[in-house]
Amino acid sequence: MTASKKVPVYCYQCVSGPDLMKVEVRDGVALRVESNYDIRGAHPGGGRVCVKAYGLVQKTYNPNRIKQPLKRTNPRKGRGEDPGFVPISWDEALDLIGAKLRDIRARGLRDASGFPRVAVTTGGGGTPVQYMGTFPAFMAAWGPVDQGYGAGQGVKCYHSEHLYGELWHRAFIVSPDTPYVNFIINCGNNVDASGGVVGVWREADARVRGVKRVQVEPHLSITGALSAEWVPIKPKTDAAFLFALIHRILCERSWSEVCDLPYLKERSNSPYLVGPNGWFLRERESGKPLIWDAAEGRAKPFDAQIRDAALTGSYTVAGIEHGPDGEVIAHEAAAAQPAFQKLVDHVAPYSPEWAERECDVPAATIRRVADEYLAHACVGQTIEIEGVRLPFRPVAVMLGKTVNNGWGGYHACWARTVLAVLVGALEVPGGTLGTTVKLVRPAFSRTGSCLPGPDGFMRYEFNPTSREAWEARPQIRNAFRTLVPLVSSSPWSPALGPAHLPWLFQKKQPDHWPKETTPEIWFCYRTNPAISSWNAPEIAERLAEFPFIVAFAYTEDETNHFADVLLPEATDLESLQLIRIGSTKFTEQFWKHEGWAVRQPVADKVVDCKDMTDIATELARRAGILKEYNEAINKGAAGMALRGKDFDYALDPERPHACEEVWDAVAKAASHSLSHGSEVHGIDWFREHGFMLAPFPQLDWYLYPAIERQGLRFELPYQERIVRHGRELAHRLHESGIAWWDTQLKEYEFMPRYEPFPEIWINYARELGRDPQEYPFWALTSRSMQYSWGANVGLPLINEVANNISGHRGVIINRTAAKRLGIAEGDAVVIESVSGVTRGRAVLREGIRPDTVLMIGQFDHWKTPFAKDLKLPSLNSVSALALSLTDSTGSGSDVARVKLYKERAAQEVAA
Amino acid sequence: MNRGAAAAHTPRWGMVVDLNRCVGCQTCTIACKHANDTPPGVQWRRVLDVEVGSFPSVERLFLVTGCQHCAEPPCVPVCPTGATRQREDGLVTMNYDVCIGCAYCAVSCPYQARTIVHDERWYYGVETRQEKEVAHAERRGVAQKCTFCVERVDAAPALGLTPGVDPDVTPACSAACIAQAIHFGDFADPASNVSRLAAGNPVMQLNAELGTDPQIKYLYTTPAVPGREPSNEDEERLADPANPLVGARQTLWDWRAAMNWCFGGVSSGFAVLAALGAAAGAVDPARLPGALAGAAALMAIGLFFVFLKIGRKLRFWRAISRPQTSWMTRELYAVGVFYPAVAANLVAPRAGLEALAAAAAAAFLLCQAQILYRARGIPAWRAPLIPWMIFATGLLEGFGLVALAAFAWRGFAPAPAPFLPVAGLVLVLVNAGLWIAYRRTARARGIPPLARGVIGRAGVPLHLLGHAVPAILVAASFAAPDAAPALLGLAGIAAIAGGAFWKFAVIVRAGYQQGFALAKLPQRGSGERAAPARLTGLTAAPR
Repeated sequence: MTASKKVPVYCYQCVSGPDLMKVEVRDGVALRVESNYDIRGAHPGGGRVCVKAYGLVQKTYNPNRIKQPLKRTNPRKGRGEDPGFVPISWDEALDLIGAKLRDIRARGLRDASGFPRVAVTTGGGGTPVQYMGTFPAFMAAWGPVDQGYGAGQGVKCYHSEHLYGELWHRAFIVSPDTPYVNFIINCGNNVDASGGVVGVWREADARVRGVKRVQVEPHLSITGALSAEWVPIKPKTDAAFLFALIHRILCERSWSEVCDLPYLKERSNSPYLVGPNGWFLRERESGKPLIWDAAEGRAKPFDAQIRDAALTGSYTVAGIEHGPDGEVIAHEAAAAQPAFQKLVDHVAPYSPEWAERECDVPAATIRRVADEYLAHACVGQTIEIEGVRLPFRPVAVMLGKTVNNGWGGYHACWARTVLAVLVGALEVPGGTLGTTVKLVRPAFSRTGSCLPGPDGFMRYEFNPTSREAWEARPQIRNAFRTLVPLVSSSPWSPALGPAHLPWLFQKKQPDHWPKETTPEIWFCYRTNPAISSWNAPEIAERLAEFPFIVAFAYTEDETNHFADVLLPEATDLESLQLIRIGSTKFTEQFWKHEGWAVRQPVADKVVDCKDMTDIATELARRAGILKEYNEAINKGAAGMALRGKDFDYALDPERPHACEEVWDAVAKAASHSLSHGSEVHGIDWFREHGFMLAPFPQLDWYLYPAIERQGLRFELPYQERIVRHGRELAHRLHESGIAWWDTQLKEYEFMPRYEPFPEIWINYARELGRDPQEYPFWALTSRSMQYSWGANVGLPLINEVANNISGHRGVIINRTAAKRLGIAEGDAVVIESVSGVTRGRAVLREGIRPDTVLMIGQFDHWKTPFAKDLKLPSLNSVSALALSLTDSTGSGSDVARVKLYKERAAQEVAA
Repeated sequence: MNRGAAAAHTPRWGMVVDLNRCVGCQTCTIACKHANDTPPGVQWRRVLDVEVGSFPSVERLFLVTGCQHCAEPPCVPVCPTGATRQREDGLVTMNYDVCIGCAYCAVSCPYQARTIVHDERWYYGVETRQEKEVAHAERRGVAQKCTFCVERVDAAPALGLTPGVDPDVTPACSAACIAQAIHFGDFADPASNVSRLAAGNPVMQLNAELGTDPQIKYLYTTPAVPGREPSNEDEERLADPANPLVGARQTLWDWRAAMNWCFGGVSSGFAVLAALGAAAGAVDPARLPGALAGAAALMAIGLFFVFLKIGRKLRFWRAISRPQTSWMTRELYAVGVFYPAVAANLVAPRAGLEALAAAAAAAFLLCQAQILYRARGIPAWRAPLIPWMIFATGLLEGFGLVALAAFAWRGFAPAPAPFLPVAGLVLVLVNAGLWIAYRRTARARGIPPLARGVIGRAGVPLHLLGHAVPAILVAASFAAPDAAPALLGLAGIAAIAGGAFWKFAVIVRAGYQQGFALAKLPQRGSGERAAPARLTGLTAAPR
């Protein structure tokens, strides 16, 4: 027996990666996985990989893999149709796609409606990019590509947090400063299941150190289990709970004693005077917002020398207000109040008693949690980080999925961020931090993206809403630039638009809108929207209408069932790529290092698969865009620009390059840039060593120093800029005759007013002509760490270990509620909503509200080998795809109203 | 071991698991499966998802389980082959090449840590290339369990590395843990990580009341989460098979094992009673050699069932290896005396040989009684009354067969004598009394509700069939002397059936494994279980 060797690769199967691992290989066979302990001193999760990484060996040798390219022979598409896939050669497959691509280029990249003829959908969180080699370069070279078909984005993601977080504090993802925090209020955030290795590692350290975490959620999640206290709140009412916390601080406690007054006055818009129409009152000449200087008894521009900025009171001041579309409202003597006063008045009705009625959390609990938050806030204290003295505020408020997206998501995000601002805990050590930027540029530096914008706030590129610049004709089908000013226009923005609208509009053409078309070629990679979208069964029907689908395919699944060509790409342990690691990333990956790590083929191939980089090169060549493709790589489409200030490793744009050659150039450019030229390594060096690191300053975890240095303020609590865009957007849409976005437009408010959000889902039944009382339960979902992101549902090893965790065998129901319905442990039950039905076994637990049921993960497979035999229920089969459940950012929530009954009873009824 | 300055130091390897760190992610479980190549369904390291209390006062926690490498491991003394041993450094080891797969260690473990896989298993039903590469034929049909990755630990001195500190020489589960919840190290070294953790924090051990002194110690407090005493869980939850704290019914000792106790009891009891009957003049001494030969045949049937059950049949002879501690070995020794004595007595009947055979049979019965009792992993078996019950039932069954023989075997008991009915009555009363006491003390002896249910339900049929019917028939035999042989024979059949009935009930159906009792819990959760308010917060930054 030959000796085995350990080959370094990375795992980026979920958004909380990457983590580094080694694969033990003998005689060309991958045997085992272990953490790459070589990086344990630098990786903030001790260099470990999580449970999912260990599934990759089984993934490689899964006998159900697609073993060579396949072509559809049955032209009819449908769930019940056998695709009739037959094997073809790689050349045949690529020629077939290449011919289609060339034909499109000849006819024009956009169709009659102005939509791209080519669309690409990849799985969530950007993780597919870490596996797709140079395919992004192919897309960049191609031109317009519709990347706006969602596979669950918006519903499955932290949507409002992504958008508002990025605006407010460059926080596409928010995290506590876990190494320093002492008290966390966690509304539905399931970091101990979804925070990846680093999240779990750091939170565990924090707990042992003494962190107190209060978990507020309808069911007792993994994270709730590890929290000091679980508060079982009614679904979708978190904003009420959070508003009441603010009420407690501002209306019941002596706010001037417990809040961070310097922070409020200097680092927020709290002292900005608000005019009678709700807009900031501005100095007439400069247009700068005014602040009342109580020491001098007069208003001054926000950036003037102000001795004592007034936070409360009413003042009579001359000035102007800037309304939408250039409207200027002049006042000689306007009654103006500081934004903070507006805030105090705004939250006055939201007492703990009010909240108790709304969210089912006792008023005493709300008061106590608010008081504990204040007790831990350490207002006035400082800490030294890398020689710099910064405020120390070890409190944080975290939100989770379904809380921070969909209706009410904005409200919760606003309240959470305001809670941080009140005690000066935003972006300072111990407090509430962002860990990544995706919408603001440059994407690799949060602090670098903190640049001065209007009114003393950070710059933010809203999608234009002015009459001149508004994108009246959407450039892609989800119309993110047209409908959502806040989503900006970065490479990530299309996926963060209302990504379910294309599916919805394909079914029902909206008024005053370009004719909805299907893409002529749809590429899908590491995604399964026919399982992962809301109302997944309906998405499958839409997919059947697509004329030509190219699916990169590992096994057969519910989405590639509708495909015309299946391409078995080389998977995780079979392909070559170099990626950035370190600095600050989601979820809790803020490092003291940054650098690069490699993924490489570790073993002999077992099927006729091809590296994504080689596939992309071949497609580019066949489509006649090889030169543009190579130039895209040279410009950085593979993660690193190959030409820099002092280096040039650019590829010859005229000829195709083998995978190794491409990544060798990337490796050299990456190592050159990282080491400033002192250590240049080719790809072979990375294949041997696994990774390369350089120090990254901890100071860059915090935005506060950059804000302070530039004299900037966080754009809180008052939302003047967003509302102006909202009003302008309303004008534009109404000018176009569009009324179907009106409900969404109402969400643009200076400070969000609470709505009884649960009613939105309860009343949805009426839209379909049903009585809401038929559906008395809330159905929710929760992260399965073992299955998260879903690509490993076909691995029995993962299934085996996941089954140790409750809920992986069915639907979790409160024991008492189940008893009332005559449902016993293990009974087959039907979960039915107004829009769909799913089936599973009853799992009875105490850690869930009696009015709530829970389906972990995303299942209900009907095609994926092994997974289809699990017969697991899925929320996606009962959630609704509806405009009325879409908020102004274009997101929904993973929640549905359902009834449940025993399977046998159903048969009796049918009989 | 290196012979340097530390040569005198014998480590005591163990673990400290922090309940406030573990998130139940199963990374340890799967890392163990990789490192140790365990087949589908076998988890040497397993993390349970535990819920206690009821809404709205609920607590959930994740419990790392597996071999506890007990300081007093119940699995080691029972092993008849010496395949399972305890090393000086505390590791409880397995020698797959010696183990016969009798599963005695598995039923003796109160931590559900051991299992036996008899068949070849593959995750997809067909063997993949990788599975072929990592197959372990030597483990088929023998006991397996967590080894604390002994090969890694043993490699440490040569590599100059420290187990528990350097991942390469640390058990895979501990090295892989993404929450640093599983600490491995040397309890004998006060400066080690595990010693410091265990000394600096309150710790608890699982099922500590069983005296096993497990070497996995659990931390359950943090500065925000104090510990608390367990509250009384309601019976319903402890009777819920879906509750991971509740032990499942063991399946390793199945009906074949029960057959050994049935045939073993009847045969040895018969040998003893027949010999005593002969001594009392109730049995024809001339028939005794034949009777003993019959007993030997019955005993052989029982032993044959055991033989069917063991995983490695060709190695069965290795079961003679541990007479020092294993009652299973001792049972074989009793067999080893009984059969030659019976055989010799057939050839040349002698009172001495008969006495020897009877004594060996009694010893055999005693061994059977002890074997079940020493299976510490099964609360229904380890109850202190069990050995008495096995012994007394064996004698009652022996009475039954003697009575049957007296009726059916002409000349076996030529003259009516009070010995038989009196012995029968006394044995019935003793057996009935023992069962009642067993059932009444079941709860106090820690027999779990599911097993108690089986025991409770077995009571009436057992008392009727095994006690009342024989007693009435024996009493009737006094009233109707003419029909006495038939009545006694019927009584014997009922007695034998009763014995078989309860042994099947207790061994096959009430064989629920020891669950996991948590002596302490973290105080966290909802309602009454929530950690206390903290209004004077931590105000300092961490160092």
